[in-house]
Amino acid sequence: MPVSTPVIGVFILIYLMIMFYLGWLGYKKTKLTEDYMIAGRNVHPYVLALSYGATFISTSAIIGFGGAAGALGMGLLWLAVMNIIVGIFIAFVFFGSRTRRMSLNLRAVTFPELLGRRFQSRFIQGFSGALIGVFMPLYAGIVLIGGARFIEATLNINYDIAVLILTVIVAAYVITGGLIAVMYTDALQGALMFIGMIFLLSFTYITLGGINAAHSALTAMNHLVPEGLAAGGHLGWTSMPAFGTPIWWTLVSTLVLGVGIGVLAQPQLAVRFMTVRNDAALNKAVFVGGPFILMMTGVAFTVGALSNVYFYQNTGMISLAAAGGNTDLIIPEYINSAMPDLFVVLFMLTLLAAAMSTLSSQYHTMGTAIGHDFYREYVKKGDLGKTISITRVAIAITILGSVILAYMLPISIIARATAIFFGLCAAAFLPMYTGALFWKRMTREGAIASLLVGTFSSLFWLTFVRSSEAVPLGISKALFGVETLITGTWTLVDPILIATPLAFIAGIVVSLMTKPIPDEHLDKCFTRKRK
Amino acid sequence: MLGIDDPYIWIAYILCFISAIGCMIYGAIKWNDGLDDEDVE
Repeated sequence: MPVSTPVIGVFILIYLMIMFYLGWLGYKKTKLTEDYMIAGRNVHPYVLALSYGATFISTSAIIGFGGAAGALGMGLLWLAVMNIIVGIFIAFVFFGSRTRRMSLNLRAVTFPELLGRRFQSRFIQGFSGALIGVFMPLYAGIVLIGGARFIEATLNINYDIAVLILTVIVAAYVITGGLIAVMYTDALQGALMFIGMIFLLSFTYITLGGINAAHSALTAMNHLVPEGLAAGGHLGWTSMPAFGTPIWWTLVSTLVLGVGIGVLAQPQLAVRFMTVRNDAALNKAVFVGGPFILMMTGVAFTVGALSNVYFYQNTGMISLAAAGGNTDLIIPEYINSAMPDLFVVLFMLTLLAAAMSTLSSQYHTMGTAIGHDFYREYVKKGDLGKTISITRVAIAITILGSVILAYMLPISIIARATAIFFGLCAAAFLPMYTGALFWKRMTREGAIASLLVGTFSSLFWLTFVRSSEAVPLGISKALFGVETLITGTWTLVDPILIATPLAFIAGIVVSLMTKPIPDEHLDKCFTRKRK
Repeated sequence: MLGIDDPYIWIAYILCFISAIGCMIYGAIKWNDGLDDEDVE
């Protein structure tokens, strides 16, 4: 690293002190369960937008997916388009306002609780809570790995100690300050990320001689695509991969559709719609959220692809080669060699902020899923007054789980594990969540059917069909003696394209066959009170 | 267009900006819509 450790140390220290201050502020303001769970339903629209964006965009979106753009090219920009249109516009305008109103009508304070109360089923709440509690530590584990690797490299300290430092800091403000602390620290981290990414984009285009010149130079490098990638369908960094090839399927099904649609059913994001007073706040958040996401994923994917030009002009190698074949190292390598020293410091804080904002929300969501949804509402049938204390303990336990995973998981899993979690959430929750908000005819049995079909078909596809997960897992090989149960193109298709439609069909068919939910309950769910 | 030959790429590049600007226009037009919604107690 070119920048002296003491300089970075001072910046990080100042940054951490502000984080602690905001955490303490959250602690002071937290009096009721609603404060701890959903920040008292009184969050400022800008804080909502930045917090949503900063939670949405983790280090893996910038480093992992930016690096993927370095290898696969600008086709990833379709994911940025999806992030803005689906992740912000559709999420806030269509899902957000109904989620907010229904959670208020039903007095729901978590995502599983909203679904459970809408369909009058403790099972839905308990199962959803358990699903989040079991699989989210995996997602949190990889975000933790990303953050800790960054601290390790920047401050020259041991990786294991870096994991502990990061965990203790985030845990301290999440456990004490609840969602108020989480969202205010998120907002500050989001602002920092925004500034960092603006600099990154500007420096990149200036260094490469302007927008058109930079893109033209990248287009002119088409013949440099390595043979292995070209055989997989790679046609150059400013072209889409050839239709139907393995790279095309990875790009379109896993990255663009999997992550692009999966965001709608992310519990840690959906809960944020419940934190504002009225729909006007959601509209204002759209105003801030659209450009924010453009500056995050749009910039990361563009710069990731353009890094090829920089490396080729300066070292004669493409990015993948310059980063030693590891896509996760393309962006850090590019920042270190191409950017001025002061920017390196700024960008390091940007990455630390991205990791911490995602981690804190994950810890909060896992804790409330286990402590409130699973334990209190399902196991104890709602019969316990000390929800906050139980949730705090649950947060501590899930944090421990993700730390253990951070020590165990290999580094190369970062981008893939993010996609797996997003896909699982889409299959398990999206049909039921969509039905809850938009289809009054959906019944409890239909919702349960979609939840179970979505969860298990998604897990089945990952374990037995999709080669990129099934082969390393080895369960199919152990049970049936074959690496995947089906062969051919199917083994490239992301589970989201199979499991989510299946779950939708199950939800619709079973709903139509079962007794509708009573009108009085539906009125209670959908009523819109005005002042 | 923009130094990019494949239309599927430059369309995505431009769509990123259009969709972000669209979000801003929507937010600005609807700035105060929904202010009359119920308050928290």
